[in-house]
Amino acid sequence: MAKRSTIIAAGVAGVLLVIAGAVTALNFSSSESSSDATTVTVRLWDEQVAAAYEKSFSAFERDNPDIQVGVEIVPWDDYFEKLRTDVAGAGAPDVFWVDGGSYPAYADAGALLDITTALPADAQAGWSAPVVAQYTRDATLWGVPQLADPGIAVYYNADLLGDAGLTADDVSALTWDPTGDNDTLIGVLQKLTKDYNGNTADSAEFDGSNLSQYGYNAGYDLQAMVLNYLASNGAQFQDESNQYAFASDAGIASFQYLVDLMNKWQVAPSAADTNTNGDFSREQFLQGKMALFQSGVYNLANVSAGANFDWGVVRLPSGPAGAISGVDGIAAAGNAASQHPAETQRVLEWLGSAAGSEFIGASGAASPAVLAAQPAYAAYWTSENVDISPFYDVLAAGTAPAPRGAGWPAAENAMRPLLDEVFIGRTPVDSGVRAAQNAANATQTE
Amino acid sequence: MKWTRFSSTAAVYVVLVLGALFTLGPFLLSILTAFKTREQFAQEPALSWPDPFTLDNFALLLTGPAQFGRAIVVTILAAVLILVGQLICSILAAYAFARVDFPGRQVLFWVYLSTLMIPPVVLVIPLYLMMTEAGLRNSFWSLVLPFAFASPYAIFLLREYFRGIPQELIDAARLDGANTLDVLVEIVVPLSRPIIATVTLITIVSNWNSFMWPLVVTTGSEWRVVTVATASLQSQFNGNWTLVMAATTLALVPLLLLFLLFQRSFVRSITISGSA
Amino acid sequence: MRSRGRLRRRSAITGYALLAPSLFGVVCFLLLPVLVVLWLSFQSWDLIGPITFVGLDNYQSVLSDGVFGNSLLVTLIFVALVVPIQTLIGLGAATLLTRGLPGSAWFRTIYVLPWICAPLALGVVWKWILAPTDGALNTLLGQRVEWLSDPALALPAVAAVVIWTNVGYVTLFFMAGLLNIPGQILEAARIDGAGAVKMFWHIKLPLLRPTMFFVLVTTVISAFQVFDQVYALTQGGPARSTDVVAARIYYEAFDAFDLGRAAVMAVVLLVILVVITLAQQFYFRRRVTYEMD
Repeated sequence: MAKRSTIIAAGVAGVLLVIAGAVTALNFSSSESSSDATTVTVRLWDEQVAAAYEKSFSAFERDNPDIQVGVEIVPWDDYFEKLRTDVAGAGAPDVFWVDGGSYPAYADAGALLDITTALPADAQAGWSAPVVAQYTRDATLWGVPQLADPGIAVYYNADLLGDAGLTADDVSALTWDPTGDNDTLIGVLQKLTKDYNGNTADSAEFDGSNLSQYGYNAGYDLQAMVLNYLASNGAQFQDESNQYAFASDAGIASFQYLVDLMNKWQVAPSAADTNTNGDFSREQFLQGKMALFQSGVYNLANVSAGANFDWGVVRLPSGPAGAISGVDGIAAAGNAASQHPAETQRVLEWLGSAAGSEFIGASGAASPAVLAAQPAYAAYWTSENVDISPFYDVLAAGTAPAPRGAGWPAAENAMRPLLDEVFIGRTPVDSGVRAAQNAANATQTE
Repeated sequence: MKWTRFSSTAAVYVVLVLGALFTLGPFLLSILTAFKTREQFAQEPALSWPDPFTLDNFALLLTGPAQFGRAIVVTILAAVLILVGQLICSILAAYAFARVDFPGRQVLFWVYLSTLMIPPVVLVIPLYLMMTEAGLRNSFWSLVLPFAFASPYAIFLLREYFRGIPQELIDAARLDGANTLDVLVEIVVPLSRPIIATVTLITIVSNWNSFMWPLVVTTGSEWRVVTVATASLQSQFNGNWTLVMAATTLALVPLLLLFLLFQRSFVRSITISGSA
Repeated sequence: MRSRGRLRRRSAITGYALLAPSLFGVVCFLLLPVLVVLWLSFQSWDLIGPITFVGLDNYQSVLSDGVFGNSLLVTLIFVALVVPIQTLIGLGAATLLTRGLPGSAWFRTIYVLPWICAPLALGVVWKWILAPTDGALNTLLGQRVEWLSDPALALPAVAAVVIWTNVGYVTLFFMAGLLNIPGQILEAARIDGAGAVKMFWHIKLPLLRPTMFFVLVTTVISAFQVFDQVYALTQGGPARSTDVVAARIYYEAFDAFDLGRAAVMAVVLLVILVVITLAQQFYFRRRVTYEMD
């Protein structure tokens, strides 16, 4: 009589035992702490820099045998959603990358290590001043500067330029003008855009609904496009009090120009492709289907590795207010709730040192924010025969800041669907941009 | 007469076959694409046969940083644990509601039933808060705990079935000195195999497929389940469709096989339970 | 007398003991969360800062800014697209499959495949099929249609994917319902000279009413909560044209980090679904007694 119940009980116990064993095994394999060393985790979104970090940390571990550093990559698309829930759930890594729009909320919530007091003052001397300024809030620095992206520039496909009878010189000093009076950009882009029958955009038979080659990557890309076009027309993205101010007359003219490049002149991929896939244009450029690709040094390693054609870099088109580029820096923040604060501080100090950052520059992965590591970056690209001066020369004319303030995630969430519509051409530019600005400001309660 | 009959039958088959093609098409596209190289995918039409036939996409998924193999293991473990927990708790509760007399039985049953109206999406936010407070976020247990104790729906199905078991059988066992657990194990469970099979299938399917809760409560590749791994792969390798289709294939095929093996029980389960 | 009281007490103890584990689950993971979400709807919380009481601010903000109103409207349109169409197709397929033709069981099995598979994974497959530039459908059509990025097409496209998923499920129930109709009734009608069309409208359809009711209830409720396919296909875009309530709740909480607003939306959704369920129950009760007269 008791037999069946014994069998069932034994079966259930067996299953539970197996699961418990398997979960323990999984737990074990995920922590991987084999020695007595303390593990400090560092999270970022950039695979190229992660590879440089791996090299950097193996050097660090040689000198600091009591610390193991684990690098984890979370893709950009999910990065800040996941970071927020991890910080909230006390599951965040010891060190994590933040950007200028995301760190204030964490700083205000007390989730970040105060770098100003945590690291010795002499360790802080050699950092890029604009990045330090970007990550200083209420006179406190909230991250160790890691990347200092210089300006935005334009990558060109020399083969496609050649096909259109153009050279790099023809695209190195382009101008754009919302009134059309002083515009050389559109004419060049029309020569560089082809439909499926091979007609260029300046021919009468051109069918803009079906492109086989794109001239340019105009689209809703804040960093590569919008901020620069706003600044180059004398417009602001945010004002001094961090209110969104892009719907000024000049700002609307900038948006109108970008939208026209896609929908009127049809020299760029449709917003239907680029709104939902931020990498669409880069893929097209790398596949040899886009002539001019405006972007930052954050794509330099990708382009260098992926392009099997002749390419180069030129200055971005200059607008009525000049050629003004956005600049942005990335910092590594320390988790205030870290289990091993002392070890975390040592890792942060290493990241902020010339020796620690050297690897980022020397591998060409990204432009380091530690000044002493910057020559290695330039040297790498010189050795690759790539002239990266257009990314830097543009800075002389003044720069446009990246989005800032604690309310950026909510503002971004509110304005994105509205601006998506503007770019896709279904909302008139002026009313759509105004609505986006109002929606963004409505989320700001600070 | 005969001719019109024949032609109408033929028409019915044409409609049915078209429907079947339309239903199977996406599955075939997913599987075909998973075995193609990126080059072939870029150059040839979607329906072309994989040539060269490659396993690279699967190899990259299982051995690469996506850790898809781990996701499959986590998903299976969670589904089995939830299944065991739900079966035990639900059988006990269903028997209590069906055959044991205690004060408040009607009210409690009504409370259980009323929870069926709570949509899962409403529970996600408070459960997230609770798991975070309990320090369980992003752990294996956060995937399992909220679902391992009971499913009011399973209790409802089991109770209906238990009520059909003749009371004489239970009384006879009682006279032989069996206690409640004996009765459950020796009489009720063996007689209820079909409904237990139904509950088992629904539970496995719904847990293999569940997405929103694991998406919210886990981060990174540690405790990711198959659906979440597929979604994150899709956003990370936007446009790399051969790899993404290998992921969807891995997410779809185990259930397809399970379904083809237990086709009859599945179809019956769905009609009995109204879900799967 | 005493022994009966003891027996009753023992029976009560047994009952509660059997119920204890499931009651723990129901209270902790179903009832308590409802209270928590209600409480949270009066708080302001961004996940990392402190939770502070804000009274009715969240309700005011959610009900006044139009984003949630849009989501409700989108969801209603979605339900109105999905439910009738899949019911009609399912009814049609069931009629064809219950003609006793050989192979019917195979077709039934095939049709129900999408229903048991992960909606998220199928959504991702469809995302590629419907992709504008290199998608399978557009390559097949030889024409560029922006299925998922045109606000006018996106919601119908998502609805079509959901219908594709659900048709087999609906078919299954109508097949069961049709096969349950007693043969004598159909025979009698045939002797009375009823044609196929008349038979369907006047005999089969009225007898299918309970099945119809069940299918409508379950599909309306599940359509109201659609999330996985939307997440995979459009993430609520373009221009919030597919921003269904469940997706809005998710994005409000875990993308905009406004948990208070998300809680308000969850409370509203709960109320709507409870009302729908109760209304349907009420309607069903009345209908059944009417039929029994």
